[in-house]
Order: sequence, then structure tokens, then C-alpha cells
Amino acid sequence: MNMITKSTKETINLGKKLAKKLHGGEILALSGNLGAGKTTLIKGIAAGLGIKKIITSPTFVLMKVYKVKHKNIKKLVHIDCYRIKKPSDIIAIGATEYFGKKDTVTVIEWPEKIKKILPRQILKIKLEYKKNNQTRKIIYNI
Amino acid sequence: MIILGIETSCDETAAAVIKVSRGKFFILSSIVSSQISIHKKFGGVVPELAARNHVKNILPVIGQALSKAKVNPSQIDKIAVASGPGLVTSLIVGVEAAKTLAYALKRPIADINHVNAHIYSNWLTNPAVAFPALALIVSGGHTELILMKSKTSFKKVGQTLDDAAGEAFDKAAQLLNIGYPGGPIISKLAKKGDPNAFKLPRPMISSPDFNFSFSGLKTALLYTIQKLPKPLTRQQVYDLSASFQHAIVETLISKTIKAAIRLNINTIILAGGVAANEPLRNGLKAAAEKIKKNFLMPNFDFCTDNAAMTAAAGYFAKAANWQKIKADPNLEIK
Repeated sequence: MNMITKSTKETINLGKKLAKKLHGGEILALSGNLGAGKTTLIKGIAAGLGIKKIITSPTFVLMKVYKVKHKNIKKLVHIDCYRIKKPSDIIAIGATEYFGKKDTVTVIEWPEKIKKILPRQILKIKLEYKKNNQTRKIIYNI
Repeated sequence: MIILGIETSCDETAAAVIKVSRGKFFILSSIVSSQISIHKKFGGVVPELAARNHVKNILPVIGQALSKAKVNPSQIDKIAVASGPGLVTSLIVGVEAAKTLAYALKRPIADINHVNAHIYSNWLTNPAVAFPALALIVSGGHTELILMKSKTSFKKVGQTLDDAAGEAFDKAAQLLNIGYPGGPIISKLAKKGDPNAFKLPRPMISSPDFNFSFSGLKTALLYTIQKLPKPLTRQQVYDLSASFQHAIVETLISKTIKAAIRLNINTIILAGGVAANEPLRNGLKAAAEKIKKNFLMPNFDFCTDNAAMTAAAGYFAKAANWQKIKADPNLEIK
């Protein structure tokens, strides 16, 4: 699927729509440059899962875990590999233990940095920004 | 009362001994073993490396803190340890060391919120604080406005909606290719630059709430750099640094002052690693004076992570059962 969003609000709404398709156990891998809208899309996904807490960047702590009130999904795990040089760092903080867990949705920013340890079953989402700063192209297959 | 503080929430292994007598704080020792040089080449803290170095450093650092304070372990009355938020692999080292000591010495132990501890770094100089107070905590992992109605009451009234200010500095430094940690480097280069050379946004500066957003500012810097011919000249790097720093500092000051007026507080408190930033220190001080509010900021040495602030927080905190204390990377102020 190919989507063009023209504002932060539209990106958030797309995230909300994607959240409705999740059942638990999914790993979403979000690729895109600094400023492409990864965190914004995740804010939308979190809102779609009913999370009221503010989703802030996990760059510094690498991983943030949010509780979810949902039939099947109990946790949203937000991982940011931006600063990571070796996949073993992500293993060290216990992030891989969440991968594929049935009651957890895992979203990973900068997944290309941990390619070696990513499970085969991931849902790829690619974000690109267009010349006009507000427009984003979002490619996904959920 | 003699308190041993232990702090390992990020890349510094720190231990400190403070004495509190009649409510006055005396720092007997404060040891900080920083790993910045180790993490420099990675552009940030690497969890596995940090954990390994904490393990290596923790006992020598505690030993040094005690010997420098001329205090025997048996003289310690209370132990305070930062249990979160932070990097889980780092936090665990300090938390487990503190628990072991508490059990072995049969002393009370208090688990401390690292963000609150930053606020208490201001208590180390024994100021008289008029409440209610509003604390701006800015660091690599945090940008929060905390309302304090008393010494021990904390309520979050504003926060960043995306990146922390310190993180924005780090990412900007990476975009400019000038090294890590971003804050001090940008600050240094900014001195030679023109803060008005490049027009960068002041995100959410006029939003009605007390929240911040720095993600868009980083993106704006990226676009600005992309439009310039490469390689950037040295002066352009200075100007970009100055303009970026100016945007962050102005936003932080403006929102803090707005919150201070709206919440009708008496004292503005600055804390956290970014509190070492000179334009922020001077700017917020001047702005607070202008609206006739008291202003507190920690001594330069106690802005970045240290254990003296953890020990100070430990004086006010209730002791807990050591078996129930756990490292919590996502610990929050409600």
C-alpha cells in the first residue's frame, strides 16, 4: 500500500487506521530518515491502540514499554536503534524478548541497524518526505 | 545523618557521601567516573559497554567516596539509589550494589527517581526555597516542567512530546558532524556564531499548554543544512550551532516563564545536564528576575549526573524494603 499524508494529523490518522489491523505479536519495522515522520506515525498507532500516555522519543533509553488495554494486545514496545552500532546492544537491554510475543506489538525505528537479529516475520513500513516539508509518502503492507 | 548516594542511570558511575545536620547539607565526597570518552566514538551511550564499565567501576567508586569522606561503612545511616528512569542495563548495577550494601550493613535504603534527584541538586547549597516552585529539568533523556508545592510533592505539568532537549542537541551535532555529547560542543561553537543567521522554528512556543517539541526543530535544521552547498564552511557550522542553540534556549525559557506566571509560583528551579548550558542559565535567570521570581540553579559540577543529588533526595525519601526495590527504566513522575 502507498499512502501520501499531507500533515502531521494525517500521519497520525494513518497510524490509528493501521492500529486497527493489529492483533498482537506483530513487529513493525519503520524505515525513514530523520524527520520522515516515524515517531509521528507511532504516536498514531499508540493512539489507535488506546494509549493515553504521551509517546516520546526512546532514542536515549533505546526502548519504552507502554501498557495497552485491548482484547489481545497488552503491551506496545517502542524501540529506537538510531544510536545503536551493534545488534548486541538491543539484546543487552532485553528488547528481543518482546519480539513476536502474542500480547505485544513491537515497533522498531531504524531497523536496518539490527538487521542481523530481526525475525523474518516483520511488517515493513517505509517513510519518505517530499520536497514540500509537510508531505510524506508512507509505504506499508499490513 | 550520613547518607550514601549511588547513581548509575546512564553513563556515569557515581557515589557520594553527604552529611545532613539540622536540615543542612554538607557534601563529604562526590565521585563521578564518567564514560564519555568510551562512548564518544559511538555518538551516544552504548548499553552493553556502559553496563560493563559500571560493573568494573561501581565498587572502586563507592570505596573512593567513603574514603574521601573519611566515613566507615558502619557510619552510614541511610543508602539512596537512583532506580530509574534510565538505561536498564546501567540502572541494575547501581541498584543491586545498593541493595547488597543495605542488606549487609542492615541500613535503610530509599529508591530515588533520577529526575527528582536532579531537582534536589539545588538543595546541596542549602538555599531557602519559597514554594510553590516550578522546576525545569532538561537533559539527554528529559525535558519536563515539574510543579512542587512542597519539598516532597512533584507534579508534572509539562513535558516534551517527542525528543528531549539534550537529545536534540546530540542529534543536531550528529547532523553537523561535530561529535558527542552534542550540548557542550554546540555551545562552544555557538560562541563564534550568529544566533540569528539561520531562521529556525520555535516549536509550540505559543501553544496554550506547557509542553515542548524538539523533533520538528531537528528536522528544520536538517532541511537548512541540505539546502546549503557542501562542504559547509566553518562559519556556517558556527552560525548553525548558534541558531539551533538559540531556538532551543528561547523555547525553554519562554515556556517556563509562561508556566511560572500562569501557575503563580514563587521560585523557578533549573536542573539536569542541559542546565550547564550557559545561555540557558543566564537567560532563564534574567527572565525570572524580570517577572520577580526567585531563581535557583545547581552549581556547574552538579548539573550532570552525580550521586550527591541522589543522596540529597534520599534525605527526603521514605525508606523501602530492599527486596522490593527494582531498576525501572520507565519510572515516571505522575
